[in-house]
Amino acid sequence: MTRGARAAEWVVLYALSIVVALAISSVIVEATGGDWWPVLEALVDGSIKAPGRWGETLGVAAPLLLVALGTVISAKAGLINIGQEGQLLMGAAFAVYFSFRIGGPGPLNVVLLLLFGALGGAVWASAAGLLRYWRGVPEVLSTLLLVFVALQAVGYGLKWQWLLLADEASRGNRNLVSEQLAKNNRIPRPDIFGNEFPITVYVALALALAVAYVLARTVWGFRLRMLGHNPRAAQRSGVSSTVYGATALAIGGAFAGLAGAAMFAGGGFSFGNYRLVPGFSDNIGWTGLLVALMARERALPAVVAAFVFAMLRTGAGFVNSTGVESRITDVVQGLLVLALLVPPAVVFLRDRRRARAAATERV
Amino acid sequence: MTGAGGPDPSAPAVELAGITKRFGGIVACDQVDLTLHRGRVHGILGENGAGKSTLMKVLIGLVLPDAGSIRIDGQPRTIHDPLAAAALGIAMVHQHFSLVDQLSVWENVALGEEGRLKSAGVRDRVAAISRQYGLEIDPDARVGDLTAGLRQRVEIIKCLRRDPHILVFDEPTSVLTPEESEQLFSTLREVVAAEGRAVVLVSHKLDEVLHATDEITIMRQGRVVDRRPTTDADARSLARAMVGREVSLRSERAAFGIADIEEAADSGTLAEIEEAERVSDVGVEHRPPAETTPSNGPVLRIEGVTVKGRGGARLLDDISLDLRAGEIVGVAGVEGNGQRTLGDLLSSLVPLNAGRVVVNDAEVPTGSPGAMAKAGVAVIPEDRHDSGVVLDMTVAENLLMVDPYRVARHGVMDKGRATEIAEQMISEFDIGCSGPDAPLWSLSGGNQQRVVLARELAAEPDVLVAAQPTRGLDVGAIEYMTDRLRQTAVDGVAVLLISSELEEILELADRIVVMSRGRIVGELSHDDANLETLGLLMGGSEG
Amino acid sequence: MVLIDFFSAVGDVLSSESTYINGALFAALLAFAATGEWVAERSGTLNISVEGMLLSGAFAGALGYHLAESVAVGLVLGAIGGLIIAVVQAEMSHRLTADQFVVGLTLNILVVGLTGFLDREIDPRADYASEVEIPILVDIPLFGQALFGEPWPFYLLYGLVPLSWWLVYRTRWGLELRAAGENPQSADVSGIDVNRRRRQSIYYAGLTSGLGGAYFLFARLATFDDSVIGGQGFIAIAAVIFGGWTLWGTMGGCVLFAGALSFQLSLQGLGYELNTELLQALPYLVTIGAMAIFARRVRPPAALAQPFIRGLK
Repeated sequence: MTRGARAAEWVVLYALSIVVALAISSVIVEATGGDWWPVLEALVDGSIKAPGRWGETLGVAAPLLLVALGTVISAKAGLINIGQEGQLLMGAAFAVYFSFRIGGPGPLNVVLLLLFGALGGAVWASAAGLLRYWRGVPEVLSTLLLVFVALQAVGYGLKWQWLLLADEASRGNRNLVSEQLAKNNRIPRPDIFGNEFPITVYVALALALAVAYVLARTVWGFRLRMLGHNPRAAQRSGVSSTVYGATALAIGGAFAGLAGAAMFAGGGFSFGNYRLVPGFSDNIGWTGLLVALMARERALPAVVAAFVFAMLRTGAGFVNSTGVESRITDVVQGLLVLALLVPPAVVFLRDRRRARAAATERV
Repeated sequence: MTGAGGPDPSAPAVELAGITKRFGGIVACDQVDLTLHRGRVHGILGENGAGKSTLMKVLIGLVLPDAGSIRIDGQPRTIHDPLAAAALGIAMVHQHFSLVDQLSVWENVALGEEGRLKSAGVRDRVAAISRQYGLEIDPDARVGDLTAGLRQRVEIIKCLRRDPHILVFDEPTSVLTPEESEQLFSTLREVVAAEGRAVVLVSHKLDEVLHATDEITIMRQGRVVDRRPTTDADARSLARAMVGREVSLRSERAAFGIADIEEAADSGTLAEIEEAERVSDVGVEHRPPAETTPSNGPVLRIEGVTVKGRGGARLLDDISLDLRAGEIVGVAGVEGNGQRTLGDLLSSLVPLNAGRVVVNDAEVPTGSPGAMAKAGVAVIPEDRHDSGVVLDMTVAENLLMVDPYRVARHGVMDKGRATEIAEQMISEFDIGCSGPDAPLWSLSGGNQQRVVLARELAAEPDVLVAAQPTRGLDVGAIEYMTDRLRQTAVDGVAVLLISSELEEILELADRIVVMSRGRIVGELSHDDANLETLGLLMGGSEG
Repeated sequence: MVLIDFFSAVGDVLSSESTYINGALFAALLAFAATGEWVAERSGTLNISVEGMLLSGAFAGALGYHLAESVAVGLVLGAIGGLIIAVVQAEMSHRLTADQFVVGLTLNILVVGLTGFLDREIDPRADYASEVEIPILVDIPLFGQALFGEPWPFYLLYGLVPLSWWLVYRTRWGLELRAAGENPQSADVSGIDVNRRRRQSIYYAGLTSGLGGAYFLFARLATFDDSVIGGQGFIAIAAVIFGGWTLWGTMGGCVLFAGALSFQLSLQGLGYELNTELLQALPYLVTIGAMAIFARRVRPPAALAQPFIRGLK
């Protein structure tokens, strides 16, 4: 098959599976008495067309992309990190603690609080790394269980003034809330054509390029992929699964933590308005994980996937007005990811069959 | 007593006529005819890739032929799948991969049958078959705890329990000591003579076909090239028919398992031709290795090494071994006696419980990632998919696995340089693939093995460990591999050849150690070793 | 002083019957899920969509009750709800050979969204199943009420768990699925359709987990919402690992992890002022701790989580 025909085949297969996912979504909406078309319109309005909305969407896409990039890195090492929600929350908590209890000089403060956020996520993910490489606990369980522990830990922090809780004066009538980040410590949100978004969007994009480059071109990325595909071959070739695996988990957590810090200091959407509050993470960790899965654990496709999922989020706010429950967007997300799993599997099976037929008796 | 008669008891048990099977452009079987009679052992002889396994797959329903007909007991049949074959009374004793270690003997025997599972019934039957054929076995033993010979017993019982009329043995002796092989063949005779079953013995070893069969069919390149009663056959003519020319190269003879037959037959002339051809064709001088590096100390020293597995079993038990530059040391032994662990040890895959490994006078931290490779030990592993290659990466990436830094600057790999080096290696080692970017899984087994070889030699090692390096390769590839190994030794590398093919070891090794149950039970110089002495060492410590 | 308080609190909790009643309730939820998960893992699938199966089962249970006002119908629909998720998981991971973790994760998240979307369409309020007391046994002090005075769906476990054991160890189907989980290549050569057995094992997990979700609805919640399962499926997976892939060990894990949860609830119920966050995290910390102690000591099925594609190896 020629290169062109192959590319065309991919495009057709992917388009087909997206159509099927949307068709199923529409059936669900229609079956529950709603109308699908207005829902779609509302989604587009809420995410792009209405004034100021695409900036908002970009603002949501940035943390999603950051989480997804971390997931891509740990997945390349063959690790299944599903605790991004907790790592993100921990990152936000670390950033808050730094902002109000330590503090840095002036403009450096923003950078430092982001770094502290990354540190928080990395620490939390490293707990899972420690459990995995020291005690043999599967990371798929430990990362998840640590999400629930993180929720409680941050809840605890929000009860005590020496940790995260704001002093009474700035607390207002709220119980569990941190202070609000001062204006000069926030991430800038320049206005572009009536849309504004934090500049972390650019940071996230740059990091996506960097991750793609590191994984594809550097020795470190090469060896990380080797570990993910065949740990024994990697071990033989000098790749320590403990060192590389634990590092990959920590970096994955750092990205999630960075996302949490960026949500805290970047504002926009429903991200607590520069305060840490219960429920702050708002499923961004989970959705970021889905973004990575939809991108099939590759950095550059994750950029597109993050934007699509961000659209579904910001658009969801407009969906309620159509009389359809906005959570339909969660359904669409899940169906999209499932549908996009099909084309590569189908092509793999077919290629495999052909290769086998050709290789039989040549062994 | 005769076997359960078909509609026409006088008809042959099996008649395959004009069987043809193509895979892509390759004709695996080309108009093959085969007739099997009850009460006889039929040998099918051929190199790997000659089409004998495809033919057998047709018979047991794993492959549907493109053309040809099958008659069982005179009745025309189509065999769609293994279940249909089983229903017709056709069964196969597989050489590998049909037992589940974690299950008990009786559970394994019951696996793949139909109907309700009745453990008492299966146990009784196992016991009955054991008694009948002298295949003693404990039905409740865990298969993983059994020796290779006993495991094969389980395979045979599993087969016989279905009371097949037609029994296929596929390379049955590859996991057996010579004694166990002997015992197997006597069982085989009994199965045939007493009960009128038809037995097929698929093999690439001339001596066992000569020894154990009544008639022989020889295949080459998908065709039947000769068939005759065993009484009319001798090793030389069979070998000639099998390869299509005079057999002369030692490596080929090794592959056919006739290293000892040659001595009994016309060894004088054979040896002369061989010496002549060796110089002209192969271009490798036969060299007495000790003379090339007489004064050097050992490159690799294994001192009192013990490795324990899960549950404390000693996989390697106080092993000591020295390896000098330029010599080939063979590790002989029946599979499953610690060879795999030895290979893993030298691949930095297992830590030691006792002892030490020293390479070039420096102790190596075994088990620490890449330690052996760094110390200069290259490995062609026994199972390349296990630690030798990464199937989901490209050919180029696999070629650079051990040392990616050679195409890297400041930690960044130079794609152009990597492709260049890969192309060079692909052409040097004649690796059949669509290019450096082809995923490794798209290559045939032989070419995957070449990728491993190319990479390991490119590291310019001091020690090369080759574990079962020719397994599953065709004759051309075997010749290539053995020449490469010999050349590597000539170039001053210490070669450790771990193999269960005795002929291969006798052929290549300057010095031979024999492993059994994780221990080294004997050491012989090349001149003192022959199949008999090695067999005794291997088998003697079995019981 | 704090320590003395703590010990008296523990004493109170351990002598309180409600600790055991709650413990049994949660243990049963875990056991329904873990039993099926155990079967799936023995066949070689680390089936993380068990979380979604539980939630789907709970939702379908509520739907069943909404339609028929019957707990029994709710339980049947619950099992079917779990089965639907299982079919998607099995077809995608063991026919299309998509990555089983990716499929499972996506399904878990999809089910949360889907049930969250749909529960406004039905009346998510169900009712409690009636309690059935087994005479005499129910009078055993401390444990009696917990083991023999429960809502009637609880007793299904007394049949389901031995049934699962019998299926796996005493039937041909069980033998074949164990072979598929230990050595799929050998199983394949022996004439077993490995991926079919694995799919069927996932169906079984779907049925038991769906039943478990519905049980939980009728025994404890009475009202559905999309957060009711909250990671219990993953704790069920932890129980299987904790139990070293034996059924009785797995049940032990369920009891231990449910015990931690019930301990926490009782402590709060008895009015002790202890660190609530720590208590809420306790079940998860106990699970992590138990894993840290036991994970290395057990032997998983040799082919666990490895896809089987004929000819790949």
